[in-house]
Amino acid sequence: MKAVYQLTVAALLLCLAVNGHAVELIANPNVPQESLSRSMVRSIFSMRMTSWPNGVPIRVFVLGDKEDLHSRFSKLILGVFPHQLRRAWNRQIFSGIGQAPERVESEREMLDRVSHTPGAIGYLSEEMINEQVRKIAVE
Amino acid sequence: MSKYGRLPLNNTHHPGWLIIVWLMSAGVCAGDLELTNPRLQIHGFITQAYVKTTDNQFFGDSEDGSFDFRELGVNASYRFSPKLLASAQLLSRDAGEMYDGALTVDYAQIDYQFQMSEQNRTGLIAGRYKNPFGLYNETRDVAATRPGIFMPQAIYWDRVRNMVLSNDGLQLYTERTGDMHRFNLQLILGKTPIDENVEKTYIDPMLNASLEQDGFTYGGRLLYEWDGGRIRLALSNAILKLDAKTQLLPPGRVDLDYWVLSAQYNDGPWRLTAEYMEEPLDYRGFGGLLDAADTTVNGYYLQGDYRLREDWEIMLRYEESHYDKDHPDGTENSRMTGLPSRFFYSKLWTLGLLWEPTEQLMVRTEFSRINGTIFLSNLENPQPNATAKDWNLFSLLVSYSF
Repeated sequence: MKAVYQLTVAALLLCLAVNGHAVELIANPNVPQESLSRSMVRSIFSMRMTSWPNGVPIRVFVLGDKEDLHSRFSKLILGVFPHQLRRAWNRQIFSGIGQAPERVESEREMLDRVSHTPGAIGYLSEEMINEQVRKIAVE
Repeated sequence: MSKYGRLPLNNTHHPGWLIIVWLMSAGVCAGDLELTNPRLQIHGFITQAYVKTTDNQFFGDSEDGSFDFRELGVNASYRFSPKLLASAQLLSRDAGEMYDGALTVDYAQIDYQFQMSEQNRTGLIAGRYKNPFGLYNETRDVAATRPGIFMPQAIYWDRVRNMVLSNDGLQLYTERTGDMHRFNLQLILGKTPIDENVEKTYIDPMLNASLEQDGFTYGGRLLYEWDGGRIRLALSNAILKLDAKTQLLPPGRVDLDYWVLSAQYNDGPWRLTAEYMEEPLDYRGFGGLLDAADTTVNGYYLQGDYRLREDWEIMLRYEESHYDKDHPDGTENSRMTGLPSRFFYSKLWTLGLLWEPTEQLMVRTEFSRINGTIFLSNLENPQPNATAKDWNLFSLLVSYSF
């Protein structure tokens, strides 16, 4: 099983090398954090963490499950498949203990929403990132 | 049929699903509202299944093929602040003779998180909340989150689902998150809604018992997750007492103590799950006439899921349930009661296929080979002697959620 997983990751990395588009975590410039631990990124994208340490509400933006960039973000940064992430959201949405992330239709919209929403977090491919959003390192 | 959360307006012929469909259409229109007010979210689901069995009745007249398995829900949540979330869900569930689709308040709760930091969260939930029990109880009626068309009956009985479904009361939760570890503890205290399905299961239906809860249901769940859920382990417990009145026997009480151990391993496309349940039943009073019925019910299942490609998944599950853990083949109970031994256990294999063409839509099909009848409802199979020991079950389910 480990071999299957490693093979999957290796295949993904190969795809990345071919495409050359790395996926980067981004946030609204008012978010003070410059880096986040992987466990914190997971807490945020699984919708359990609802505010930044300074008290500003976190607003999470994601692309559709079938978008290539979303799939790469899920697998490489969060370490889960998109369907597993969706089930985790559904478990919260349908038991009343959490809310779903906000859905955007394109990278262009992701850039627009994250740059205009205080407390927003999302992801983009490297070449889409400009000075309107802050790039966040994952430790 | 269910006494629980039933709204007066659908006493007989106003099916709850019509109201939910109306609310859903309102919910879809509310998409625009969510854009202008991101604090409000509206979600829902609509599920229809087809069930066919070679023998016995399961979720309707399944020997002839039954469409009598339908679930609709719609919920709204409003985040007042990062610390305060209010949410409520209406549910209509049609399940053969067990549930008639009456509209129920599935949950209606306020969640206040009084302590939150990067590593810790602690909060209190008040109202009607879904009980944290095993890995799946909270969303057992939502096809998009449960592990198959039917819940594994060895743990999540459909014939007595209200026993652990929800509580009216308080829940205290606390969470500690480290780099690789996450501990989550939820403690529950409240009243559990009891319905006819429970009465007909814990006391011989011939006695026509009426049950009422004595005191509160209490218990909780401790969940541990490693590496973002790669490994998940949980221990759940719920304790409750039911006062029983029958027409023939002196009054008595049934004490229930429900335990579940859960383990799950997620690795890339793989998911392996195992859960084990034990439920000691203690009959007190009844002039000593039901003392012999004391038993420890147990059951377990093992399930493997494999994501074939983006949209497709296959599933294989084995489950076993016993009325008496010390006499798992049922012969001892059969000798004592005169009922067939198949009445006291079930063993089943299920092979399933899942297709998720979009984020909203799912289609499942499953085939089960079953030996024993313990999880069949007495309401659906009133004559235990008329049931078949070996039977097959085919089912198909379509579900849409938003």
